[in-house]
Amino acid sequence: MSLLKINDLKCHYLTDIDTVKAVDGISFEIEDGEILGIVGESGSGKTTVALGIMGLLPENTAISGEILYRDELISSLPEAGMDRFRWKDITIVFQNGLEVMNPVMKVGVQVTEPMIKHLDISPEKVRSKCADLFRTVGLDPKWMDSYPHQLSGGMRQRVLLAMALSCDPKLLILDEVTSALDAFTRKEIRDLLVDLQKKNGYTMLMISHDITFVSSVASRITVMYSGKVVETGPVREILVSPRHPYTRGLVHSTPDIFVYKDLWGIPGDVPAGDEFKGCPFSPRCTQKIDICSKASPVLMPVGGRREIACHRGGIANLLEAKNLNFSYRLPDGEYIQAVDNVSLEVTEGEVLAIVGQTGSGKSTLAHILANVIRPESGEVLFMDGNVSRGNYGNRFNGIQIVFQDPFSSTSNRFTVLDAVKEPLYINKIGSNGDRLQMVKNALELVHLPSTDNFLRKYCGELSGGQRQRVALARAMVMQPKLLIADEITSALDVSTSANVLRLLKGLQNRRGFAMIYISHDLSLTLKIADRIAVMNSGKIVEMGNSHDVMLSPSDEYTKRLVDSRIGLCCHN
Amino acid sequence: MVKDRNSFIFRLLSTLFVILAINFFLPRMMPGDPFSTTSADEVGEDIIVMTEEQRLYYLNYYGLDRPLHEQFLVYMKNLMKGDLGRSIYYKMPVRDVIMLHLPWTMLVVFGATVISTVSGVVLGTLSAKNRKKGSDKIMMTGMIAFAEIPSFLLGLILLLIFSVYLRLFPLAGAVTPFADYNGPAEQAWDILYHAFLPVVTLSLSQLTGVYLLTRNTLITVTTKDYIRTARAKGLGEKTVWVRHALRNALLPVVTRTGFMIGIMMGGVVLVESVFSYPGLGMTLRSAVVGRDYPLIQGILLIIAVSILICNLLVDKIYGKLDPRVGI
Ligand SMILES: Nc1ncnc2c1ncn2[C@@H]1O[C@H](COP(=O)(O)OP(=O)(O)OP(=O)(O)O)[C@@H](O)[C@H]1O
Ligand code: SF4
Ligand SMILES: [Mg+2]
Repeated sequence: MSLLKINDLKCHYLTDIDTVKAVDGISFEIEDGEILGIVGESGSGKTTVALGIMGLLPENTAISGEILYRDELISSLPEAGMDRFRWKDITIVFQNGLEVMNPVMKVGVQVTEPMIKHLDISPEKVRSKCADLFRTVGLDPKWMDSYPHQLSGGMRQRVLLAMALSCDPKLLILDEVTSALDAFTRKEIRDLLVDLQKKNGYTMLMISHDITFVSSVASRITVMYSGKVVETGPVREILVSPRHPYTRGLVHSTPDIFVYKDLWGIPGDVPAGDEFKGCPFSPRCTQKIDICSKASPVLMPVGGRREIACHRGGIANLLEAKNLNFSYRLPDGEYIQAVDNVSLEVTEGEVLAIVGQTGSGKSTLAHILANVIRPESGEVLFMDGNVSRGNYGNRFNGIQIVFQDPFSSTSNRFTVLDAVKEPLYINKIGSNGDRLQMVKNALELVHLPSTDNFLRKYCGELSGGQRQRVALARAMVMQPKLLIADEITSALDVSTSANVLRLLKGLQNRRGFAMIYISHDLSLTLKIADRIAVMNSGKIVEMGNSHDVMLSPSDEYTKRLVDSRIGLCCHN
Repeated sequence: MVKDRNSFIFRLLSTLFVILAINFFLPRMMPGDPFSTTSADEVGEDIIVMTEEQRLYYLNYYGLDRPLHEQFLVYMKNLMKGDLGRSIYYKMPVRDVIMLHLPWTMLVVFGATVISTVSGVVLGTLSAKNRKKGSDKIMMTGMIAFAEIPSFLLGLILLLIFSVYLRLFPLAGAVTPFADYNGPAEQAWDILYHAFLPVVTLSLSQLTGVYLLTRNTLITVTTKDYIRTARAKGLGEKTVWVRHALRNALLPVVTRTGFMIGIMMGGVVLVESVFSYPGLGMTLRSAVVGRDYPLIQGILLIIAVSILICNLLVDKIYGKLDPRVGI
């Protein structure tokens, strides 16, 4: 039997200006003894859910749906009826703030107050029980006689916890209990919670925007976005393979999970206005389709206790390569297998890095994926169609490739305008006026001037970094869904290449295209990649989450690659 | 700590000095002197018309013909010895005159403080609890409109209705003249009976302030996180309101009460005049009319000192009530 069950809960704040749909139809259950985590960015409605369960929402809230505690409907109880459950059955540890506790009342009194009210207990026993509670949460009982302002944030959080435990509750709701604390205290509180849960078997609902913290305690996670649940499932699975684009963004912008990667938040904003009918994530989604802005997706089981709400069934595959083979014929008549039975997938909006030594076949693979050369065998599917037949390089929203050497990709004798305009011209896209505007836009994207003066410059007159940007603009002008960048920074000096890389990642993050980033430089790669594929003599020897590959490489070759990097970068 | 204390005492003494100086010079800046009053008609006492010769004699007798700074020095010196001087009008020590009238004023002021604070807090709480309902709106509008009536006018109205027409309360005085009481209970009753209207008038003049402050502070306090915490603990409405909300909302009310006593010390002069109540206010009025410099100085000093004491007390009490105030 589930301890708490929530059915289609809606909490809309009716303010003078508008209606805030803080919680908009969510359902979930918590089993007895389970720890469920709710994560989501600020404003996604997490606290509102917690307050809704406790019956503490302000008067100006329109509430509908059902909240059942042990099969008893508590959502429609009046204030006095709700008091029967408060603290004895359901307690909440509020996010720590100076004013969460009464400033003019000793903290000990505030902890004992609910005991006197709810438990049949003598005043002397109350005090000794309070002292016990203080010890349980790791506080010296001498603090019982202090006032809230005399305690530090961490101590106050402990008092709040002691307060919540005072009546031996069944269900503990924890709202951002560690967000305001330093890393050390956070770890202590976490251990304390885990400990308490083991000993007393509390059922917990843990709310936080800190997915690392939640996942270190909870067994299941529910991801909220804009008042709705977008994904739910067991912790490990969600962390390793998030299926909803929002979850992926959340996981990827968490520094504790992606230790090496630079932080890139999820671009865009939550749709405003209560008339919006579509998927709330659609303004920020990189893989939205027509229906996404018209109808809101419902939460559907996808197997393995996981559920996601997405019209496309979660993150979709953009490119799929199956059993690719390619070999070159050497002058002496022998064949060298440059691409050896390679299969890989690139999902929407993801950055896949392919790393390997020079000559490991990376560029050949890139050329095959971009349909520049044809594989001897195997096939490449782009958006579920075949690349070679669809020729996705020649149209908008297709595949574009930027090459290693900027001097070969843009001819010296082309002006900047001609170089960037060429793909439009070849593919007969737009009128002349349109093309000029598109070129200017593309140049702005890559942070190049779009003045007439600059447009008339010859590529030969540009620096290496500028030229690589022109090459990038030439790719961006076709608005690709997938950009293949083949060693684009290897010909540049360190500082220029760092700039180009930042620009590239920024573009990718903002425009939401997927990218295959090919490089032999592991350190740079780690800054931007979500996944890494390691190539050695034509084969992909290892592929996975970039931090997994880095921290625990399984293949010998990868280990060597990783070691060589550490030997280079860290002088210890 | 010691330094703090010293600077505090220094501040207190300098405040006192400024008050003393004003008390001394202000009355002397009024036109006329104690022996040339012509406007004594209001007091209704015998008018003693003096010859110029007599006048000069008395000025000399009371030392009022000496240079101002000399008079001030003498005044200060006597004050050090605890001597407030002699009232020219009453022909007895100022201290005795004050002692005769101060108790009545204290009775009225403290009575009014208690009544206005208690009823203001109660009404303010009721209003805050019924916020957004009609009763709150009506009460608030009424209170604010009521506060616009000046207290002496209010006193006059009350006097007319209850004393003149209904004859429920006396027209003047603090006790029934020449009364023969059967025991202290009857005496106390007589005193309360006479003090009732002045106290009520003065209370009403302060009620709206307390009411509004209580109501608004309570409304702010109830949006605080700790009220939500108290609710979450399932303590029940009454405990939440009284122990958590009201307890915090009363802090500014306490501060206000301190100031209020000061304001009432001023207001009581008018109210006492209206009800011919023989407190310090009435005495001050006649002293001003008669240019009785020593008496004016003495009364003003007592008022100033009592205001100072009240503020000190409030500071002390507030420190006890709010643990956040540094010791
Ligand atoms: N009392 C209120 N009146 C009106 N709107 C509110 C109220 N409380 C919250 N909101 C709005 O409801 C939305 C959800 O708020 P909520 O506090 O539940 O978010 P949250 O997920 O807990 O965020 P955080 O991580 O910042 O604590 C926000 O857009 C917020 O502005
Ligand atoms: S694909 Fe559509 S439904 Fe799925 S997350 Fe993106 S916008 Fe929402
Ligand atoms: Mg919150």
